[in-house]
Amino acid sequence: MSKLITWLRQRASLQAWLLLLPSALWLFIFFIAPLFIVLVYSFLERGTYGGVVWHFTLENYRRVFDPLYLKTFWRSFYIAVLTTVFTLVLGYPLAYYIATRPQRQRGTWVLGLMIPFWTNFLVRTYAWLTLLRTHTGLINLTLMHLGWIHKPLPLFGNDTAIIIGLVYGWLPDMVLPIYATLERLDRSLLEAAMDLYASGPKVFARVIWPLSLPGVVAGSMLVFIPSLGAFVTPAILGGGKALMIGNIISNQFLAAHDWPFGSALSFVMMAVMLVATLVYFRVTSDEERRQL
Amino acid sequence: MSETYAVELKNVVKQFGEVVAVNGISLRIRDGEFFSLLGPSGCGKTTTLRLIAGFEMPTSGSVRIYGEEQGYLPPYQRPVNTVFQNYALFPHMTVAQNVAFGLEMRKVPKDEIKRRVAEALALVRLTGKENRRPKQLSGGQKQRVALARALVNRPKVLLLDEPLGALDLKLRKAMQSELKALQEQVGITFIYVTHDQEEALVMSDRIAVMNEGNVLQVGTPEEIYEHPQSRFVADFIGKTNFISGKVAVISGDRVDFRLPDGTMVAATLPEGAQVSAGDMATLSIRPEKIFVTPEGEQPLVGDAEALSQVSGRLVKIFYVGVERRYIVALADDTEVEVRVQNLDRRSRRCQPGDRVTLHWRRAHARLLKE
Repeated sequence: MSKLITWLRQRASLQAWLLLLPSALWLFIFFIAPLFIVLVYSFLERGTYGGVVWHFTLENYRRVFDPLYLKTFWRSFYIAVLTTVFTLVLGYPLAYYIATRPQRQRGTWVLGLMIPFWTNFLVRTYAWLTLLRTHTGLINLTLMHLGWIHKPLPLFGNDTAIIIGLVYGWLPDMVLPIYATLERLDRSLLEAAMDLYASGPKVFARVIWPLSLPGVVAGSMLVFIPSLGAFVTPAILGGGKALMIGNIISNQFLAAHDWPFGSALSFVMMAVMLVATLVYFRVTSDEERRQL
Repeated sequence: MSETYAVELKNVVKQFGEVVAVNGISLRIRDGEFFSLLGPSGCGKTTTLRLIAGFEMPTSGSVRIYGEEQGYLPPYQRPVNTVFQNYALFPHMTVAQNVAFGLEMRKVPKDEIKRRVAEALALVRLTGKENRRPKQLSGGQKQRVALARALVNRPKVLLLDEPLGALDLKLRKAMQSELKALQEQVGITFIYVTHDQEEALVMSDRIAVMNEGNVLQVGTPEEIYEHPQSRFVADFIGKTNFISGKVAVISGDRVDFRLPDGTMVAATLPEGAQVSAGDMATLSIRPEKIFVTPEGEQPLVGDAEALSQVSGRLVKIFYVGVERRYIVALADDTEVEVRVQNLDRRSRRCQPGDRVTLHWRRAHARLLKE
């Protein structure tokens, strides 16, 4: 045994590989291999009751670019972009507020931000259902009861509902990275800017915003990518009418039994996300990412 | 007409909640002066500087810069610039962008910015480093960028908050003379915060010694060192010996002072000191102002008979190159340090354990009230 240990100690790189082995195995079996299966399936023909027929075809990818699906792609993209923008607009001031509290209070605020998210996502989405529903939703009932509106607002079964649900769901993912960059921001930099004749808005535009950009970009990635692939939120709050690409993919596997087409859709969506990630790496430097 | 001061503080108080950081100080800093605020940490020197810069607003009192009441003006409306302790360079900007920042904010024309940035960088000898990022600079270089970034705006007063604190000793010494030369070259009033008494002595035209939110004494380095008016100032600036005893006779500024063993010595009364015969008091004598000889002998100086004499026992000698330090115990075991240049042969005959005599001139023994 001790000989084995001595032998290992002399081989530092082997030790590193041994440390890596469990996670590498895990990733290979449960991530890379299935992904490869999906890739292969996307070039095959569908079986009648699910499954695949081993016959090579490009038909699935041709269908992805059918205007019907392209439209859904475009809508998903647009919903994900709006979700990202709204979480940023809501999340940045919140992150700034938390980061400027006295040290001891910050932990409490961050905890307060996280607590709602300990409840199951599905439960929270159904909670939104009871708030947003057109005729029986709490918001519309209250507003009509108060006499402020006479017709229910269209809050449910449309893009508005989906965006509300997604913004709510991903808000902490935007706030936390921004908070992390703002919290580390050296206060004396703000004083230096003020000392050099910059008023409040100028200090923000020239110092605070640029230095928090890595957090903003990271937060946007963390919100944009899951929003693009969302399927629980649109399934519940979209009321079965407003769908996103995630719903179409899940339908291909669960309802339409068209596994190859579902696989092709998945790969195209992954390509979109890959482009978004590349943009992220382009916008931020190595150094800025290391700060996160 | 009364003189217009570069900066004039009148009864300025700054409280943070219950804590009084600055306790009603008044200061007049002259145009073109290199003025230091010197004191231990927590004495209120940095708060005073921040009150002038506008980062803190006074609880009460008045801050004037060249006669203009600053009141509650924000920092960006004051004609001063600050060099921060940790430099506070903008990490996302190059050296040139950092230096140009203040000019851009004031909407100076582009070609003038370019010219003035180049001038400022030349002034601090950083030409050629325009496109570096702060991260790529050494501590001394960052320090110079911070200076250029402030000076390029041609402020009426430059505020420096322990700007050399983060540098190593050698670089510090070099930067001290560089800063002083720079100040003489640009002719701007410098207000310099430091806790390093030597730094303050070397660089300043005048020094304000602060403690616990108060200004204890203002004066030239020589006045502060030679004529401390309080025990704190005497102790904080340089090394000093305190010898307690009783005031016997006062005549003019001359005090006859009785040590606990009955020895009578002569001392000088500082201006305005409120002391009367019979009071307990303390003498402050600098270690280099005392002569030490074998017991009963006279030091080799002209007026040796006129010196006060106290006998004691030599406890220890420290050899530190340029000088020897003698620790002498008086009759009541008060330890007195004497520093003798490595020239004096008479003192060299003394060995630890010997009886010795200490001698000093009246002018060098200052009486401080307990």
